[in-house]
Order: sequence, then structure tokens, then C-alpha cells
Amino acid sequence: MKLSYQWISQYVDLHDVSPEALAELLTRAGLEVEAVTARNQGVRGVVVGEVLDCQPHPNADRLRVCTVNVGAAEPSIIVCGASNVAVGQKVPTALPGAELPGGSIGVAKLRGVASHGMLCSAEELGLETKLLGKEQTEGLYLLPADAPVGADLVAYLHLDDVVLDIGLTPNRSDCLSIRGLAHEIAALLDRPTTFPERRTPTTEGPSPVSIRIETPLCARYEAQVFDGVAVGPSPVWMQMRLMAMGIRPISLPVDITNYVMLEWGQPLHAFDLDTVRQQTIVVRAGRAGETLVTLDGETRKLDEDTLVISDAERAIGIAGVMGGQNSEITAGTKSVVLESAAFDAVSVRRTGQRLGLKSEAQQRFEKGIDPNAITGALVRATELFAELTGATPVGAPVCVDGPGTKLSMAARAVPFQPARCNMLLGTDHGPELMRDVFRRLGFAVETETDDQWRVLVPPRRPDVVLEADLVEEVGRIAGYAAIPSTLPATSTTVGYRPPLQVLSRRTRNVLMAVGMNEVVTYTLTHPREVDALRVPADSPYRSMIPLLHPMSEERTALRTHMLPSLAEVARYNLAHGVSGGAIFEVGRVYWPTELPLRQQPCEHLQWAGLWFGELEPAVGERARPYDFYDAKGAIETWLEALGWLDDARFVPVRMHWLHPGRSAEVQILGQRVGTFGEVHPETAAALDIRRAVYAEFDLERLQALTKAEWKVQRLPKYPASRRDLAVLVDVGVPVQALLDAARDAAAEASILENCALFDIYQGKGVAEGQKSVAVAFRYRADDRTLTDDEIVQVEQRIVRAWADQFGATLRTV
Amino acid sequence: MNITDWIASLQSLRDRALGELADAQDMRQLDEWRVQYLGKKSDLTQISRQMGQLPAEERPVLGEHVNQVRSVLQDALTKKQEALHAAELERRFAAETIDVTAPGRRKPRGSMHPLTQIIEEIVEIFVAMGYEVAEGPEVETDEYNFEKLNLPKHHPARDMQDTFYLTESLLLRTQTSPMQVRTMERMRPNVPVKVIAPGKVYRRDEDDATHSHMFHQIEGLVVGEGIRMSDLKGTLELFARSVFGADQTVRLRPSFFPFTEPSAELDIRCTNCGGSGCRMCKDTGWLEILGCGMVHPRVLDGAGYDSRRFSGFAFGMGPERIAMLKYGIEDIRLLYQNDLRLLRQFHRVL
Ligand SMILES: [Zn+2]
Repeated sequence: MKLSYQWISQYVDLHDVSPEALAELLTRAGLEVEAVTARNQGVRGVVVGEVLDCQPHPNADRLRVCTVNVGAAEPSIIVCGASNVAVGQKVPTALPGAELPGGSIGVAKLRGVASHGMLCSAEELGLETKLLGKEQTEGLYLLPADAPVGADLVAYLHLDDVVLDIGLTPNRSDCLSIRGLAHEIAALLDRPTTFPERRTPTTEGPSPVSIRIETPLCARYEAQVFDGVAVGPSPVWMQMRLMAMGIRPISLPVDITNYVMLEWGQPLHAFDLDTVRQQTIVVRAGRAGETLVTLDGETRKLDEDTLVISDAERAIGIAGVMGGQNSEITAGTKSVVLESAAFDAVSVRRTGQRLGLKSEAQQRFEKGIDPNAITGALVRATELFAELTGATPVGAPVCVDGPGTKLSMAARAVPFQPARCNMLLGTDHGPELMRDVFRRLGFAVETETDDQWRVLVPPRRPDVVLEADLVEEVGRIAGYAAIPSTLPATSTTVGYRPPLQVLSRRTRNVLMAVGMNEVVTYTLTHPREVDALRVPADSPYRSMIPLLHPMSEERTALRTHMLPSLAEVARYNLAHGVSGGAIFEVGRVYWPTELPLRQQPCEHLQWAGLWFGELEPAVGERARPYDFYDAKGAIETWLEALGWLDDARFVPVRMHWLHPGRSAEVQILGQRVGTFGEVHPETAAALDIRRAVYAEFDLERLQALTKAEWKVQRLPKYPASRRDLAVLVDVGVPVQALLDAARDAAAEASILENCALFDIYQGKGVAEGQKSVAVAFRYRADDRTLTDDEIVQVEQRIVRAWADQFGATLRTV
Repeated sequence: MNITDWIASLQSLRDRALGELADAQDMRQLDEWRVQYLGKKSDLTQISRQMGQLPAEERPVLGEHVNQVRSVLQDALTKKQEALHAAELERRFAAETIDVTAPGRRKPRGSMHPLTQIIEEIVEIFVAMGYEVAEGPEVETDEYNFEKLNLPKHHPARDMQDTFYLTESLLLRTQTSPMQVRTMERMRPNVPVKVIAPGKVYRRDEDDATHSHMFHQIEGLVVGEGIRMSDLKGTLELFARSVFGADQTVRLRPSFFPFTEPSAELDIRCTNCGGSGCRMCKDTGWLEILGCGMVHPRVLDGAGYDSRRFSGFAFGMGPERIAMLKYGIEDIRLLYQNDLRLLRQFHRVL
């Protein structure tokens, strides 16, 4: 909502309140002023000039040499390049020494002819060209014929105004008008409003129109008919006020309806009576198949939900939204019907949304209008019609109430307890202060008991309904600064993070500690992203929940998989000169139970990692691509930090998006908690990330697993013996299988404390198809120092088991 | 030889020995010198042995001189040994000197995303004040995202947030506020309710420098008997001082949210200019950082807490905005671009 400082100054005394101070006052009261703009963008010394003569320039085809009367003894000679300049016009004339937003004006020689000033266009004057018609913005800004020659243009155009741009919250529909804002500002300043007495033209007798309301969605319809309307431009002062408030001047009748709407908050509509068949206006629901060409030239389909204004035969307007072309006021219009009505807020809103329209009128209806303004606005508009168009009101205004709920013109009684108000605010305002706040707001107070009041809220404030609303008014007008800082006096509570939150946090911390960078990606993606995963057509990963109305073509559905999200990050970084990275995200994937969606989907918490490109080398090392074991190392560290590593098993696995020979699942207590591996070359190619390793882990499943209480291991009393074994086996034999077999073979003796791989080798000295695996064994007993004999026995059992199960042969190291 | 000769000979021996010692270059030469002048076969030992030839009363005199010379030589040797040792260490250190300005051997350090850091920092403040952390669904029902928050269908305030609908009744939540209702429904009739709910939210906005179709919010809610708006102010003041510095001051400004009444925006002193006015704060000296208010009686009643007996406050803040203010990030899209050159700057432990 824009607010003209000049206009509001007529209704509240602001002689000691600057526009900036007013802006601060409003902002502190909850009407946030987003900008304060002077209408005069730097115009000074420009006067109204009259073009007396206009001759071609001797040296330039496009220039004219004009003789301009500026009210001085001698006319000025001014060279002008505008194509629309002509003798007899009144034009804005910047004399030497004048200032324009673009700079100062002096005497300048233009192609050999001295120009004593400049004739100005709207743009050169800094006017709101967006709100002007083409004929007013192309060439000179022509002034009305009655503009007084020599008058100062700033004064003539009322440019000495300042516009406050208020970001109104939707509850304050009362401030969608100058009068509403006047009430608010008067309350804030504790000053009276100074609305003028109306010189209402007396109108009597029967009205030429008859009105019928057939739907409960129109609570009241008032109309006034005029005869002898002269349709032309509105006076300069009205045009300038409309422009200050961001409204485009159109023609006098339309400008009057807009002007009164801005002043009263009540939308009005004016249309041509001679087009209204049988001079009958019917407010009714639309009919199936009915259409109407609206003022913007569009053909609109009407339906039963549309509130329609019609005459005896056909629709002539969409109530509260837009008028019809068939009843539009034209240059030939003589008789006008002026409509002031109350239309249902939800109905107007739904119709506007359906038609994709958002007019000023519609916005006021859908937020709720002041029922007392319906008549007030009509009377005010009647006055302006009579005064400015020379029209005569015909008959008395017609006023018809609809068949539904009657409009309530009376104040609303809201119960109020001063003690509770103080309790909710944490203040100790006295009852006098609260009474004073209500007086300033124009709310009457009835006292039942000292602590039980009834506050009578006028209908112009539809937002004040409950005691809490009155508490806000007290807090607001008395100032939120009066609210002290305290802390809740509740019983002590213990801060708590749910286990899944704790697990996510620990996961982030560990992955960061192993050198990974956390990313946060968009969860909205495109279904085609799943194609890269190579999953079959019926895969659940393809069941993505689509948005009904996506904002962009790229982000149309909720992700079911994290790889495409991380791949996007990798792609971006590789394209920006980052050689590689290890990234992870703790985030959700969205798995619907069915599509189309009927209930909330499963939002599954995962962490996913992607190791892409090259590992940044330490000094003296060579760069190398990330590989499977970089990922596995991070995963092992993570599992170790969570205490699960000893229970974790890595088992080869096939996932559509992973290299079948280089991928594993991690099982804990027999449950798959995640998978990882080199990204399948076709997936990597489709995602355009070259070689990479991807991991995803199910945090919810891991969290659900219960872990036994953890205790430290006692420190050993007896020394350990380390023995190494190196064997040759087929390359296909997994290390894990060898280690498991060794542990099994040694289980009975229970002296094998630990066994771990320390080298794996293929190549020279080892036969094709075989590998050398070297394992370190640590033997120890709780109660004695082991003898060589004991150890050799167990070792032989291990070697035998390896030979039997895997055909392993001992290799002499 | 009489005693005077002996003494003279001892003195010349001492002078010769000291002279040679001064010339000694290394431990080996020192060792030879020790054998020569202090060893069993040294001249000094010879002289002591020949002391018998002197008259008995002169022997102690000569003995005294011999011991004196021995002690002088011994001391000189010790000093020389120490000096040579020190010199040798010096040489070794010189040879072993490395370039301490060359980089250390480090494990690469990872980083936590700036948004996570901000969210964690803020959540931790409230956990320390006894709040429970709650996370809820991002795919919400119209009922929880709007209706139970006093935003019936076709209410104009719905325009404040453009919504991604999935079906007529399911949507991507536009705010974390549904967690107010979900938490109250879970906890009723117990008080106090103290919950902090971080999470992702979505709006149908065009992505630009200040808008993102997906962003985060942190919702706070306290419900109990006698909860006041001043408690809200005091709590948020603690929060602001914790995040933006101990000298922060806050102000409440009236505002509107359908689910709070009274409603307010919380401003802090501009972190850029300290309140004197600059471009960042549009010359107001204040920065708006969150919306808050007293829980609307309709929301309380709807969630099962009688608004005549209980009251509460709620607030919702945007960690993106706070991260941008705190770290000087000027475009919100940078937070979702995940440029590793930016993310790696968040190595620091906060
Ligand atoms: Zn500032």
C-alpha cells in the first residue's frame, strides 16, 4: 500500500511529523514502511510554457525552434527535438538555471541556434512513466489547456509529495485506505482525525434501476445513477494523487471510482446504464457455459462458483473482480451506474484465483471491507461526479440487502481482562493506560467489573475479534519497548536430543574428521535423474512424488535417491577447477507408499558419500584418483567411532548403480545398513562425473539396532607373540574369508587374540590368477606366557584350514 | 737435579701441555694428549716416581707442585672436552638442520556445511536452556501446515507463502510451524512444553540472491501456565547475545502471523554498522532476524491446551539469513551450490 504524505496530511495534523518520522512511527507500530520516496525527483525552476511559434531548425531536420511564452516580458526561444511539439500547446518548460533529475539546464547552442531552456518529457521530469499512457510518455509531456502560463510546475503538478511504501500484513485490511491509515496514525499520535464535512448533493425520487440479489454471497448492493456524464481526463490533482498511490489515471469516471476506493477502502464500479438491459441489475451465481468478455479483452468462462453482476439478460461483470466490456464506460457514455456493494470475501478470492486476476478491488474484498464505508464511499463518489463531471444524480441511491447474513454495522463487543493483558505481555500497565489506548483507537470501553471489560470494536477493524487481539493493540500502541526481558518461570526441564538426531550429529562429526566435506543439496529433482542409476522400469526409485505446479523444469519431484544430488555437486566442482573431493550429505529421501499419493510418504534419513576426482596429494606424494578403499576406510572409521566396527561385515553386493566387482554391503547383526562401491561406469558416464565411489547408509536402521553395554577390555598380564603367515590363493578368495577361516580354526584353543591383513600382492613372483596374502597373527593367553609349541599347533590348524577351504599354499617370505 | 730444576721442568711441562691442548682439534687428539700428559706413562707420572731421589723434606713440596700441575691439566682437559663436545654438537645440528617453513604432514580435514554449523549452534543454545529437539515431516498435510495454525482455506494470509502442493491436501511444508501443533498434540496435557524444531521448508519462489525454493527454519515453542511475552523477549535476547555477541540488544516490532497474537518481528542491532546505519540495514541500524509471538488462542485450544489456562510463545528463524549475516555470504544460492572452495573454508571447529 502506497501512502501519499500530502493526502494523509489532510486528515491528520502532521505539521510536526516529517515523512521520515511518520515512516518510523508506522514501522514501530507494525506497518512496516519499506521505502520513503519523494515524488519530486529533482525538478526546480520548471514553469508552464505556451508554445507561440514553432519553426523548422535551419540546420537540423529533426529539431524545431520554438517561441515559448513563459509568463515573462519576452518569450523564450527554445530548440526542441520532440516530434509532438505544436503551436498552442502548454508544455513543461525548464528555463536556464532550472534543475531536472538528469541535471541543470543552461543556455546551449544547438546546431548554431541558442536554446534558452528545454521543453520536457514525462521521463525528464521524473514522473512515474509506468503509470502514464503512451501518448503521455512519447515526446513532450503535454499539460491541460487551462494550465496557467508561467506557473511553477512543481506546484501545479503537486509534485512536492512524498510516498511511503507500506508492506501491509494481510490482517490490516483497514489500512488499505487513506481514511483507515488516518485512523491508525491519529491513534499513534493521539490526535483527532480531520475528515471534512461532506457536501452531499441531495438526491431524491425513484431510481431508474432496479436491483435484485439472488445469492447470499452479496450482503448489500447500493447504486446511484447519473445523467449527463462528461467523459474526459480527470483533473491534474486527481491524476497526480492516483499516480502517487501507484494507480494509472484512465478517465474521469474510472479515476473517481479509484480515487474513492483509495480514500475509503470500498471498491466501486461504474458502468454505462444504457447498456443495462431493462435497467435491471441482478447479482447471482454464474451459469454453466456462460461467458463474459472482461474489460481486459479476455473471454472468461463463468461457473456456479462465480459471483456475477448481470442485467435482465446477460452477465455484465464479475462481482468484485472485473467489469464486462459490454457495459464499459466509453467516450459516448451519458448515463452511469455507480455500484458500491459487499461481496463475499472467499468467493471473490476463489474467482480471482481461478481467473488469475488480482485487482485492487479484489484484494480489498477478499480481506474484508468496512460495511460502514459502502454508503460513505457512494456518497463521496456522488459528490465528486457532480463536482467534476457535471453529471446530475438521478433519483435516490438504491440500497438492497442480500438474502444471506445481514451486514453488521454495529461495534463488536470483545471481552477484556486488564490483568490477563498484563500477564500475557509481562507488563504492569495501569487500567488508565489501557483505557487510553482504546480511546485513541476509537474503541469504546464498557466496564463490567474492574477486571472484566467489554471493548466495543468498530467494524472498520475486522482483525480485532478476540481478547488476544486487544492485548496486541495495547502492546502495540503502548509500545513493545515497554515489554521487559524475563525468562519463563517454568519447572526445570532437561534438554534432549532424540537418538536419531544424536546419530546424525555423530555421523557428521566423524565424516568431517576423516576429511570429508558436508554438502546440503536440493531435495527437489527431476525423474530423469533416476535413469542414470540403471534401475529397472518398475523400480521403487522411479516412484517419485511429483509437484502439482513445479517452479522450474529441473525440479519437479522429490528425490528417492541421493546419488544424483551428490553427482550434481561433483559435476559443478569439476567444472569449476576443483580436482576432486570427498563429500557427504545427511539428508532425506522420500519414498511414497503408493502413487498417486494418498498419505504422507516415508521420509527416510540417510547419509550418502561421494568420493570423486583426485585426492589432493600431500607434499611429495603423487595425485591419484579416489578409490574403493578410500571410501571403505572412512566407513570403517565411522563404524568404529559408533562402536559397530567389530560387528560389521563387508559382503560383495550387486547394486544397479555400482560396479558389480567393486561394491559391498555392510551388514550389522545380519542387517544391511548400507552399500558402497565404485560407481558403475555407465552410471558415472550418464552423471558425467568420471570415476567415483558412492556410499549410502540407512541411519534409521542403524539407530534401531541395539548395542550391548560397552565395557573396557582388561589390559593383558602376559606378553603376546606375533607370527606372520603368507599364502598364495586364487585372486577370487576374499581376504575376509581367509580371516574368518583362521579365526574358526583357532577358536578352540582360544589363544588367537587378533589377526589382520598386512599385505596383499599380485604380480611378479606370483603365478597368474593367484595373489599373495600376508596376515599378522597375535597370540596371547590370559593366564600364562605361551610356549612356541602351543602357537605352532594353532598355526598349523590355520594353515590346514586354508589349504582345505581355499587351496592356499604357504609362501616362504 | 735439585728441586728448583724439578719445578722449572714441571712448569715447562705444563706450558707445553697447555699449548698442545689448545691446538687439539678433535676427541682423538684429546685422547692422545691425555695419554701423553696425564697417563700412566706421562712425564708427570715419571716425575712423581722420581720424587724418591729428593730429600724427604723436599718431597711434599714437589708433590704439591706435581698435583697442582696435574689438576691444572685435568681442568684444562675437561674444559677442552666440553668445548669440543659443544662444537661437535654444533656441527651435527648444522648438518641436521631442516626447513621449518616447509609444510607439515597433515591429514586432510573435512568441513561441516555452514548451515549445519549455524543450526547446530542455535539448537545447542536452546538444548542448554532445557528445550527438546524435534524433527517432523517435510511432506505435510494442509491441515497441519495451515488449518491448525489458524489459516483456514481461502484465507488471504495464505498468500504470504506460495506453496508447493503435492495433492489437494498434501504439500511441502512452507514453515516449521506445524511442529508447534504436532508437539503440543504429542505432549498434552503436560507442561511445560519446550521444543526447538529445525528443518527444511519449501516455498514456490524463484531462486535468486535472497530467495530459495528450499531453505531451513528453526521453530521454537514454549507452552505453560503464565508464559508471558516478556519471557519471549528475554529468551530471544539470550539467544541473540549468544549468537551475535554479548553486547547485542534486541527490539520487538509489531507484526502479523496467523498463528500468534500478539505477533512481533525481532530486530537486532545491525552487525555491520553497530547501529549507526548502513546499506545492509537500510540505514535503520536494525536487522530483522526472526518472527515470533504469543501462541494464538485458537492454535492452543485446537492442540488441546485450554487458552484460558495456558499460554505460550513461539518463534521461527531462518538459519540461511543468520549464516549470511554472520559469514558475510551475499547470495543465498551459494549455500546450495556446494562449491568446495567455499565449503573448505568451514574447516574451523566452531
Ligand atoms: Zn547497518
